[in-house]
Amino acid sequence: METELRIGVFVCHCGINIAGVLDIEDLCEYAGTLPNVVTVQPNLFTCAETGTSGIKNAVKEHDLNRVVVAACTPRTHEPIFRASCQEAGINPYFFEMVNIREHCSWVHRHDREAAQGKARDLIRMAVARAMFLEPIETFKSKVEPRALVIGAGIAGMSSALALAGEGFDVTLLEKKAEMGGLLRDLHKVAPSEVGAGELVEQKVAAIKQEGRIQCFTSATLEEVSGYVGNYSATFSSNGNTHTHKVGAIIVATGGAPLKPMGLYNYDGKRVITQSELETKLKSGKLDAKSIVMIQCVGARIPERNYCSRICCMVAIKNSLHIKEIAKDAKVFVLYRDIQAYGVENEALFLKAKEAGVRFIRYNLESPPVVGDGNVEIYHPAMGKEVPLPAELVVLSTPIVAHDDAESVSRILKVPVNEYRFFLEAHAKLSPLDFATNGIYLCGNAHYPATVREAISQALGAASRASIILSHDAIERVGTVARVDQELCSSCFACVKVCPYQVPHMDEGGKAMIEPMQCQGCGICVAECPAEAIQFGYVSDAQIMAACEALCA
Amino acid sequence: MNNFEPLIAVFSCHYCSYAAADLAGSSRIQYPPNIRVIKIPCTGRVSVNHILKALECGADGVYVAGCLEGTCHFISGNFKAKQRVQYAKNLLSEINMEPERVQMYFMSAAEGAKFANVAKEMTETIRELGPSPLGQNKSE
Amino acid sequence: MIVAERKPMEEILSMIEDANRILVLGCRGCTTVCCAGGPKEVQELATLIRMNRKQKGTTVETLEASNELQCEPQSVGPLLEKLADQFDVILSMACGAGVQTIVKSFPDVRVLPALNTNFIGMAEEHGVWTEVCVACGDCLLGRTAGICPMTRCAKQLLNGPCGGSMKGKCEISKDVDCAWQLIIDRLTRLGRLEVLEEIYPVKDWSAGWHRGPQKIVREDLTS
Repeated sequence: METELRIGVFVCHCGINIAGVLDIEDLCEYAGTLPNVVTVQPNLFTCAETGTSGIKNAVKEHDLNRVVVAACTPRTHEPIFRASCQEAGINPYFFEMVNIREHCSWVHRHDREAAQGKARDLIRMAVARAMFLEPIETFKSKVEPRALVIGAGIAGMSSALALAGEGFDVTLLEKKAEMGGLLRDLHKVAPSEVGAGELVEQKVAAIKQEGRIQCFTSATLEEVSGYVGNYSATFSSNGNTHTHKVGAIIVATGGAPLKPMGLYNYDGKRVITQSELETKLKSGKLDAKSIVMIQCVGARIPERNYCSRICCMVAIKNSLHIKEIAKDAKVFVLYRDIQAYGVENEALFLKAKEAGVRFIRYNLESPPVVGDGNVEIYHPAMGKEVPLPAELVVLSTPIVAHDDAESVSRILKVPVNEYRFFLEAHAKLSPLDFATNGIYLCGNAHYPATVREAISQALGAASRASIILSHDAIERVGTVARVDQELCSSCFACVKVCPYQVPHMDEGGKAMIEPMQCQGCGICVAECPAEAIQFGYVSDAQIMAACEALCA
Repeated sequence: MNNFEPLIAVFSCHYCSYAAADLAGSSRIQYPPNIRVIKIPCTGRVSVNHILKALECGADGVYVAGCLEGTCHFISGNFKAKQRVQYAKNLLSEINMEPERVQMYFMSAAEGAKFANVAKEMTETIRELGPSPLGQNKSE
Repeated sequence: MIVAERKPMEEILSMIEDANRILVLGCRGCTTVCCAGGPKEVQELATLIRMNRKQKGTTVETLEASNELQCEPQSVGPLLEKLADQFDVILSMACGAGVQTIVKSFPDVRVLPALNTNFIGMAEEHGVWTEVCVACGDCLLGRTAGICPMTRCAKQLLNGPCGGSMKGKCEISKDVDCAWQLIIDRLTRLGRLEVLEEIYPVKDWSAGWHRGPQKIVREDLTS
């Protein structure tokens, strides 16, 4: 080590989030006793302007060359502090973060003594690791000014149009023979009362007119390789295989209402789903005079423990449409909880009640029983079972993920949750992004959404993608593996284990890793028997130092 | 022995288990304070030598927590990790240490509760096994 | 390459029972490539030795190093001279040739093998090596379509399969290919089946390890 290590440690109170459980003064005092630590400062909020400028000042004042922040999760806040380091003139990777909030104060609230000990340990491990941090530089890569949008439902179509409007080329894939998605089956969209069919036709016409959008129907995504700004997507459409170079990808693969097979005597005739009801409403074929709707069919149960969010509004919307057609029709909505969020939806709910739609609550222990021409329900206000006349029973079923969500997830290497909905990088901080740079999501593929929500997410995702696409080149951080060819034994282990097939043997018979392609997983680094692959971002020395500092 | 507090090192991947730990935090799910997370980009980054080092340096147990099988952000990293964990277990057997001190767990970023349960389960497992025979942990 | 694997820890630990300053010495040649004795395994073995001693409540000093080619005195010499007074015992993670190269150059140093040298093999896939050569000293691959019956035929037959060849498999196990079946298939494919018509004479076994240690001297290279 040529220059003397000078480490600054910054300990965040995070208001009472950390300081409410941990003794910050003690942590600061302790950090001060650790080797090479020259200054320790507590902050009320390290991520606030005062905190970050405090870091910058301390770097200058104490001539720091390593910065350690003990605060919240690096998954959200590391970029902020790395930027502070850079602004202060030291390499942003001479920074180490300790998570004493999510991993300590928030989860050990009832054992302060042990939490304090753990926080000390974590700070000690981070300081030890900081001594072995390596500077990491950035390099540039060209951006393909084209986007791939997967799915041409309302979300995908809206994204594609928005991107085209900004001047980017778009490859739009639709697995069905025509664009439109779920909306094709629906009647009217609440609360705006726009016809779903008209909305679809309007979007489809706009796409067909827009020269920048190339739409491929009956399409299947087959393979995606590359990285942000420079993806290569292979897909088939109507028997032909195409490969397009794209800079960003939007996942808008949608979802579908659950078919309630075996539930409440569902038969598709007398007991139907909300979307089947909408088809009837659309064609004007509804003649039933007594209708019972049952909410949460197949949802919020142990095997599908989520709320589909939109079904309550769908039921309210459709009950109002029925009342419009036949004022004297009896409409009952049997619900567990009503989800009618927002001013307009709340107003619609009220309007439905005023129009005479009866809302009756049930709970999971005594669900309604669908009989012949009636539905039996335990009425909580009357305290007994009551029969409701039901020429037609309408089941509100949740939106579920498509079967092919998993294959798209595998091809794009982006995660899905236990119900196979795509999982965003962070629910609050990056709700439309995947953890993988350059891939975004919107609409039902993420979670059940209304048309309005799907469109706003689609516009958001398009906007996120355009941030990438609008650059000629983007900077990539060199958090990648590098071969020290002097040490390479030419054993091909890296070539064989890399999941992205990046390493190869160069003309001299030694391994080579192209930094632009390396994804930075470190699998080859751990596998190389010659220890010839270096990974400055998470080096062996750093990991070993953290291990050695496990015990005081 | 009664007051034995295990010290457990956790190698946690950025995309899944570290995120699950964050979620456990933001959901305020309480779990035993015995684990010390070492963040890595992917569990495929963990080598057998890292696991051994943690044990040598005083951990009573070590576990590697990666993405659910088949959903590794880096495709096969958690599979490699699983193989290496098994190899590390075999090594421990060879020097007469309990292989249960090293474990592999899989969880998604959405499973905060699972992260907490795993921390609890591992703490109980190690508590049962007692302090590491390397005798570093002085908490008894 | 030479394929080796680490000896069981029990055996290694008993060999070094009385040693307290141990140099674990890897080789960056064959044993790195077959993942048995490269820098990674050196670290692994040294750590296991330390962990074992800690369990017993005793201490040990381990030194970890690897050199380019342990079977080359010029490669091991300078390294060992540099580390000379820092160890009592060398635990070599090279093949048998590596161990003996040190023995020859450093007559006063105690050298122990940490590996069993198994065979000359090829890498089938990552983590799988198979024996393909027995170093018989009289290579006949040129007449057997490049498939070695000395290694791969249980009887080391030189003139075609025996009666134990069934559906392409050897009678010793249904998992072992009959080498002669492979030879015939490949010669057929190459259109050179007539090669088999020539009877292979009695083999010169004297070149193999049966006869005792072999030596090769290249007059043009020696000084």
